[in-house]
Amino acid sequence: MVAAYRPKNLKDALEAIIYTEYIVLAGGTDLMVKKKQGAGLLPAFDKPVLFIADLEELKQINEKEGYLTIGAACSFSSLIDNPLIPALYKQVFLQIASPAVRNIATIGGNICNSSPAGDSLPLLYALDASIIIENSCRRIEIPIADFITGPGRNMLTSSELVTAIKLPVLHFDYVVYKKVSARKSTALSKVSFVAMAKLKDSRLEDVRIAFGSVAPTIVRSRDVEEAIIYNSSNGSLDKTEIISYYTTLIKPIDDQRSTAFYRRQVCKRLLVDFLGNWLC
Amino acid sequence: MNKDISTPVKRADVSEKLMGTACYIGDMELEDMLYAKTLRSSEPRARLVSITYPEMPSGYFVVDKRDVPGKNIIKMILEDQPFFAEDVVNYIGEPIALIVGKDKAVLRELIAKTSIEYERLKPVFSIEEGLEADTPIYGECNYFAEYRLKKGNLKEARSRAKYICEETYETGYQEQFYLEPQGVIAEYKDGKAVIYGSIQCPYYVKNAVIECLGFAPEMVRIVQATTGGAFGGKEDYPSLLAGQAACAAIKANKPVCLLLERNEDIEVTTKRHPSRIKLKSYIDENYKLTGMEADIVLDAGAYAGLSGVVLQRAMFAAAGVYNIENLKVKGKAIATNKAVSGAFRGFGSPQAFFAIEMHMEHAAKTLGIDPLAFKLRNILKQGDKSTTGGIFREKILLSEMVDRVIQMSGYEEKKKLKNANEYKRRGIGLSMFFHGCGFTGNGERDHIKGRARLVKNEEDHIEILIANVEMGQGAQTTMRKIAAAALDIELNKVFFQNPDTDRVPDSGPTVASRTTVIVGKLVYDAAMELKTKWETGKRQEAEVQYQYPEGYQWDNDSFEGDAYTCYSWGVNAVEVEVDPITLESEIKGVWAVYDIGKSIDDRLVRGQIDGGIVQGLGYAGMEVMENRQGRFIQRSSTDYIIPTAKDIPMIQSELMCEPYSDGPFGAKGLGELTFVGSPIAYALAMEDALEMRINNIPVRPEFLMEVADDDKRN
Ligand SMILES: Cc1cc2nc3c(=O)[nH]c(=O)nc-3n(C[C@H](O)[C@H](O)[C@H](O)COP(=O)(O)OP(=O)(O)OC[C@H]3O[C@@H](n4cnc5c(N)ncnc54)[C@H](O)[C@@H]3O)c2cc1C
Repeated sequence: MVAAYRPKNLKDALEAIIYTEYIVLAGGTDLMVKKKQGAGLLPAFDKPVLFIADLEELKQINEKEGYLTIGAACSFSSLIDNPLIPALYKQVFLQIASPAVRNIATIGGNICNSSPAGDSLPLLYALDASIIIENSCRRIEIPIADFITGPGRNMLTSSELVTAIKLPVLHFDYVVYKKVSARKSTALSKVSFVAMAKLKDSRLEDVRIAFGSVAPTIVRSRDVEEAIIYNSSNGSLDKTEIISYYTTLIKPIDDQRSTAFYRRQVCKRLLVDFLGNWLC
Repeated sequence: MNKDISTPVKRADVSEKLMGTACYIGDMELEDMLYAKTLRSSEPRARLVSITYPEMPSGYFVVDKRDVPGKNIIKMILEDQPFFAEDVVNYIGEPIALIVGKDKAVLRELIAKTSIEYERLKPVFSIEEGLEADTPIYGECNYFAEYRLKKGNLKEARSRAKYICEETYETGYQEQFYLEPQGVIAEYKDGKAVIYGSIQCPYYVKNAVIECLGFAPEMVRIVQATTGGAFGGKEDYPSLLAGQAACAAIKANKPVCLLLERNEDIEVTTKRHPSRIKLKSYIDENYKLTGMEADIVLDAGAYAGLSGVVLQRAMFAAAGVYNIENLKVKGKAIATNKAVSGAFRGFGSPQAFFAIEMHMEHAAKTLGIDPLAFKLRNILKQGDKSTTGGIFREKILLSEMVDRVIQMSGYEEKKKLKNANEYKRRGIGLSMFFHGCGFTGNGERDHIKGRARLVKNEEDHIEILIANVEMGQGAQTTMRKIAAAALDIELNKVFFQNPDTDRVPDSGPTVASRTTVIVGKLVYDAAMELKTKWETGKRQEAEVQYQYPEGYQWDNDSFEGDAYTCYSWGVNAVEVEVDPITLESEIKGVWAVYDIGKSIDDRLVRGQIDGGIVQGLGYAGMEVMENRQGRFIQRSSTDYIIPTAKDIPMIQSELMCEPYSDGPFGAKGLGELTFVGSPIAYALAMEDALEMRINNIPVRPEFLMEVADDDKRN
């Protein structure tokens, strides 16, 4: 048996983790699977557990000064139900797991789990989301692409919590989200794809493209996006060239869910479709 | 009870299941009970050189081949599979020993600390390798069964043929994925072994435990625990678990619980046989299918299990619903170093029907004629002969069923519409099939000889005593309805508890779509006997035994005659839409018509139809289980994907009825039939949508992408 601590507020939580190394548990939908030992056995938590799902400070959603801030312990269901959350985000969240899991699975958990198949991540990468990290004496903001350092790895230390996700409120004219998975519910992504385009006077002003599940971390390249914007404005967009840029970044593997070949082809086809439909 | 028996009633087991009070094997705890965990082979094929166990804490011990008091062989068709490995292991996951003790966590640790030294042997991983194995796993030629079947004069058909079509079809593994994993609890008290388990066939388990322990039959008792689903997976495998747990209980002199974890269950228990079927058909100038050669090979896995009978069912279904007068069918069940293939809803016939239905479609396309017209030109009619020369005695409603499905689904318009659309992504497919109800061949007559007993107490309440189990399909409800209707009494005066072999006669296993049609008829007959001798307020009994119906005949050596005495029929249509980018498919519609004779309860029938169709759609489109070097790749509930409610639209189904004279109220078999047609209709719909030929299931988008291969095309 391990000790469990259910702090009353964020301050207590942050103080608790200064001295003791805790396993932070939000919804537990990743942790309980990882620590599972078998029917009739307790999960194998080797350190005390800190429950954060009920911390009010981590469940706030608000929009201020052009930024949307989402508390880390917001469940996907609460986000789906919230009027401040844009439709595209909801479309992404609605394809995660199943209703029961979404009721407890948190966005903070999805980020901290840092899996390349985490379904909120391509969207957050594409939107340049920042992760807000707090410890008992400071609060910092880090771009998500820097926060996640590898598959299942991020820069969080044991005395810190992710408290919120901060997103610039942006408008895009065309958005595409595609989760490719073996079934419609409760399935991890084989590939996921987010793409958004913003037009001004029918000229491309901004574009964002991100791929999930096809490399150790989410694939997004601002350089390539800028090349797309630049070239499309002067009419010299070469789709084959764009595709070949992404091809060097996309490094899928063969695994139990799909094949590298399929993943690569699907990425290519989704990209071609997007570029063809919205840009050229 | 004088309303129509088909009118649905409340299921007998519905309340406890909805409220969560039903006691499954994992919920049972006997006093002083110990747990067992299985030590398994991590090698696909090897000689066991030595096993080094960690020091056992007090109260913990090992149970292995040396602890089997009787025979270390599971009683099945052939005698090849041990309860605990002797000196060779033949698949990854094969049980070598149990470690038994009080605390599951300690057991896990003890298993982890045990080391096994192997001497590797050359493994056999596939049908191809199995056919040419120089060091056979079984016998001299590495197969568990080889049969041949002949009908008419193939030579003549061959010489008369104007067209010849030949193709090979393959189907993959499928895992049953029943509600709760396999498990048993064994107890040893006063010289008697008692086993509780999640099982389909109490007497199979009993017979296996008798041999394992070397006990007299009356010293072994099997009690079925609430069983949440089985699909054939709990037909053969529980015998293994029961024997092992019984040995452990005897050694411990305490109850022992052996429950598999879900992922362990997925990896090591039986699955549907992968198949490779070659068909060569001979067609005359009038597009009549006059002859066919079939070569059926099943991947049986490491031990024989039930493969021989699965193979027979596949062979007897080789001609599908078509009247082919000249036939030659070869079949082999090949040994490979993989988990044992076993019983699964359909029992060989889904593989065979997939092959023949795809074959008919492809043959027609090759000949440039309409596939549906070609099929209808060749379908079976009353009086035609089966693959084994038996006679289809009852009326066959196939063409009416096809008409109805065409109407329901808008098949013809959908076919035309798509041809007009250049960006074609939708497709529709239609399949026709039957299922032979009850055991294949002489099973019912010579092996099972099922018995059923009814007991009436002084209050005139009736108890049904049969060995068949409720496993979610509704047997408790249908059996009670049959008895109540026959006796013309209220349904709530009829009782049916989970079978206990100390109380119930051997009415055979709960398999082969036989429970309603065969055992239901025994219950009906017993009820009629009771009715004639009914004396109010008196305890009375009636027991009957299966009688082979008159006018049928079967020769098991030559495979000649009526392989089944009753057939139920089905026609399915499935419509799909394929995403042109990802090549994922979405099922847009499912339409189905079945002839199952008289429905005993329309809602339960609907449950079987919906469940069977969904499971079939999973088999054909979604359920991928690959094996590499003897190891399953998709071996967890996360990775082995079965359909969810979101993946399947509303299923439109209807019944037509050609009653079976020997079934209760005219009922025929239902459970397996509902599985057979949807995989085919799905595959045909995919062909239609993508304008390609599909010879293998599951149809994965990964495969379609290889075929599409943009790079090569560009
Ligand atoms: C059946 C099932 C289906 C699933 N399907 C999907 C799917 O379709 N798509 C998908 O992306 N995921 C899926 N998941 C995975 C999981 O549900 C998500 O990743 C979810 O967002 C995790 O959130 P959680 O709150 O449950 O995380 P937890 O399990 O509580 O935590 C996950 C990790 O993050 C850490 N953590 C959590 N919150 C914080 C915080 N605020 N600060 C610091 N560290 C923190 C924890 O310590 C742990 O390491 C599925 C899981 C299950 C069980």
